[in-house]
Amino acid sequence: MRFQRIHVLQVIVSLIFYIFLWIIRETFPQYGQFVTLLIFYTALGQAFNIFLGMTGYVDFGYVAFLALGMYGGGLAVKIAAEAGLQPVLALVLGPLLASLMAAAVASAVGGVALRLRGAYFAIATIGVNEGLRYLIEGAKIWGGSEGLIIARDLRSLFGDEGFSYVTTIYADTFLIFTAVAAAITTWLIKNSRIGYGLAALREDETAARVMGVNTTAYKIIAFTISALFGGLIGSAWGLKIVAIYPPEAFNITYTVEAIIIVVLGGMGTLLGPIIGGSIYTLAKYYLGVLIPGFQLLVFSAILIIVAVAFPYGLLGHIRGYIRNYALRELLR
Amino acid sequence: MDLEPLLFNITAGLILGSIYGISTIGLSLIFGVMRIVNVGHGSFIMLGAYIAYWLFTLYGLVPLVSLAVAFTLGLALGMAIFYIMVRRFLGAPEISSLMAMFGLGVMLEEIAKQFWGIDYRGYSWYLGAIPYLGLRLQVTSILGAVLGLIAAIAIFLFLFKTGVGTSIRAVVQDPVGAYICGIDVHRIYSTSVGIGLGMTMLGGVLLTLYNPTGINPYMGQPYTLKAFVIAVLGGLGSPLGAYIGGLIFGLVESGVTYIFSQMGSPSPGSLALFLGFMLLIILLLAKPEGLMRR
Repeated sequence: MRFQRIHVLQVIVSLIFYIFLWIIRETFPQYGQFVTLLIFYTALGQAFNIFLGMTGYVDFGYVAFLALGMYGGGLAVKIAAEAGLQPVLALVLGPLLASLMAAAVASAVGGVALRLRGAYFAIATIGVNEGLRYLIEGAKIWGGSEGLIIARDLRSLFGDEGFSYVTTIYADTFLIFTAVAAAITTWLIKNSRIGYGLAALREDETAARVMGVNTTAYKIIAFTISALFGGLIGSAWGLKIVAIYPPEAFNITYTVEAIIIVVLGGMGTLLGPIIGGSIYTLAKYYLGVLIPGFQLLVFSAILIIVAVAFPYGLLGHIRGYIRNYALRELLR
Repeated sequence: MDLEPLLFNITAGLILGSIYGISTIGLSLIFGVMRIVNVGHGSFIMLGAYIAYWLFTLYGLVPLVSLAVAFTLGLALGMAIFYIMVRRFLGAPEISSLMAMFGLGVMLEEIAKQFWGIDYRGYSWYLGAIPYLGLRLQVTSILGAVLGLIAAIAIFLFLFKTGVGTSIRAVVQDPVGAYICGIDVHRIYSTSVGIGLGMTMLGGVLLTLYNPTGINPYMGQPYTLKAFVIAVLGGLGSPLGAYIGGLIFGLVESGVTYIFSQMGSPSPGSLALFLGFMLLIILLLAKPEGLMRR
């Protein structure tokens, strides 16, 4: 792996953004809700970008990995509270269990479903997502449709003050770290053999196969890594919502939001999720403030416009106008 | 396990399946012709249901009239949507069309919400009930199933006995070849989107015959997902396969729900749906061209 200086700068820019986010979070608690959303959406974008952005495969069931993460994190809290373990163990066990569950399901599903292409793959992933949801509801796994409610367990573990600390500062910080880890992973993959292989398969999978790129393995790797980060995000998000119900946890809206963020920023670019996530959060938050009740209407209009006008994302659009090589590479 | 209730459930499943099938023909047709997955499919079913509801409650028009109204409106809407939106996604990566169709679905839901609110609505059009196997079947739901069958036959005749239908089948097989042979491919595309959405909205009307309650802006979501399973069952892109797929899915859903409830499962409906989606994945992997391979 040899890095150009400009690509090192890329990763530094993203790191600065996340440090900046963290500082804002610490110094202006009044913007707490907005910053939390911003952290969540950029993290979601960073995680999903590893699969959607790099392979061009549309995973319409990505939220399943978030949901598995929520359940993993929630179960760890429940187990720790019931067995009377050290409170800290719940926070260590949660992400571990969440990432393990998400990655296990992803490698199983990926190994099977990634043989399909295009629309067929999108439909299969929707099927996996809904199937998991109805399995949890129907077989009464983890509380079934009554949900997995961890508020009381969190209170018994950490006390009242600890509860508000864990559900706000700790969860947000964890999300920032997840986003940074996903960004660095993206950068490492992009500049490695796997990244070049994925770029080839995104352009033309058949040709890539013929040229000896191990497309199957690379797809599964990207899918699993992306799911693992999705699970980590879910485990932190579960701490914030403290009650996990299948219809909400598996809600397809999260998937579509992740798709918007990745596509808006620019598929497969390193800074794309930051740009897409920021724009999306600003739009969503202020629409909710300005025209409550109408935000979904505007959201759907934006969705259609983005799909029609920026099929290659905002970054891709801007890059087309930039003549300076260094700047273009920065936005790669 | 009694046999009579099971038989009754099979009949109910076939009735529901006929309506499912009609509601899914449009999805399959649009995919077959343009390779575009209509992720906003359920919203058009919702529109059809509202048409049936409003015409009945405001003007006292029976759903038989609503069928024609829904189909005509769907046809016009579909052509408009094609020329405004869908035209731009031909040959674009899937992601654009998936995003835009999803956005369109959400938009229709939100417009319905602004106009009519989020309360559940329902109407009652009672034609009597037929005693059957110790239980009672509503005449309206039988009528819905029969009308569904008639609509399926009509679509079949249209596709196989008319010039436009033949052109549509030609475009499904090979758009480039059809273009070379002098078929105006864009017109076929717009016609297909129109007929597809018309059939979907007609399906929404029929659905209210089976279950005239629970009409609200978000009622379409479960149908979108079921439609995917049904369309894959019949072979994506085959409109007639979709109808038969609907019958199979209706049977499976109704029968399996009954069996699970006999086994004492607290939420048999969810388990039946889980099996449905398992079926979808297995089918996609084993026979993506569907069960009715021509």
